Amino acid sequence: MLYGCTAPQPRQELFTPTDAQMKIRSAQSRTFEVKDRAVAMRGVIAALQDLGFIIERANEPLGLVTAARFAEPNYYDVLGVTVTVRPQDDDKTMIRANAIYNNKPIEDPKVYQNFFASLERSLFITKN
Amino acid sequence: MPKLDRVIRFRLLACALPLLLSGCVEATQPAELFQLSPESTQNRSMQTRMFETSNDKELLSASAASLQDLGFQIEESVREVGFLRATKERSAREYGQYIGRFFVFLLSLGHGLMPVDLHQKIAAALVTRPLNEAGTRQEVRIMFYRVIWKGDGQSDRTYIPPGEQMMEMIRDPEIYQQFFAKLSKAVFLEPHTI
Repeated sequence: MLYGCTAPQPRQELFTPTDAQMKIRSAQSRTFEVKDRAVAMRGVIAALQDLGFIIERANEPLGLVTAARFAEPNYYDVLGVTVTVRPQDDDKTMIRANAIYNNKPIEDPKVYQNFFASLERSLFITKN
Repeated sequence: MPKLDRVIRFRLLACALPLLLSGCVEATQPAELFQLSPESTQNRSMQTRMFETSNDKELLSASAASLQDLGFQIEESVREVGFLRATKERSAREYGQYIGRFFVFLLSLGHGLMPVDLHQKIAAALVTRPLNEAGTRQEVRIMFYRVIWKGDGQSDRTYIPPGEQMMEMIRDPEIYQQFFAKLSKAVFLEPHTI
């Protein structure tokens, strides 16, 4: 009864990042030794295509690529990914990927490790 | 009476079996989907051609023209990264499916009416990219896929409403060959397989 009388106070820490969020963010981001954003973007697109993704949208000035694929052989499940490419001050490029599986965010770091492994290969081929 | 019981149970099992089997298609884990599959090299060579040209703009516009020739509508284009997305909608009706539907109807004594494919949307995502530093060699990669909408059907007494969706990647090499034949004519260049 008494509990019901006090309105719940909005929690201060609602928007402060938790440890888990920081961990996911670091798994989702990686820095590459690429100067040019366009080169990095083309590498991202090529890596996604090699993995069987269909490119849905690309925005060069903002460095955005959105792609999706079916979880073959099962065509009901859809895997979507948004990649952002941001050049940094020190001639490097920060690449961040957010993947969703059937509209649920993927938090497994292994998924991102696999993606970055493919991307690394693709960027290396593009460079040469 | 027990005999009848067994018959009913058998029928139930027969109905449940296809459901069980369809449930057995194993869901691929997201981690696996970010790894190169054994078929990816083969798909890549089917979907990719190399052109000896430094004019990436011309190559992209010729690609758009070839897609238009094949009846596609361009939906999105980003020149800076050499990207095009196009779709076309067509009927998906096939005689074979209607014949199949008829026989299923006959053999199930009017209890089953198989949904047939009615309408489809074929989509293409195309990307061009330079292969060397000077940009004198360009690669064109295109991927086709389609979404199919099914008509209505019936399974015993349950009505299957129309509109069920099915999606698939198009992996027929002939479709890709057709596109690249058109494209090479449009740019007056010989396409090279990779």
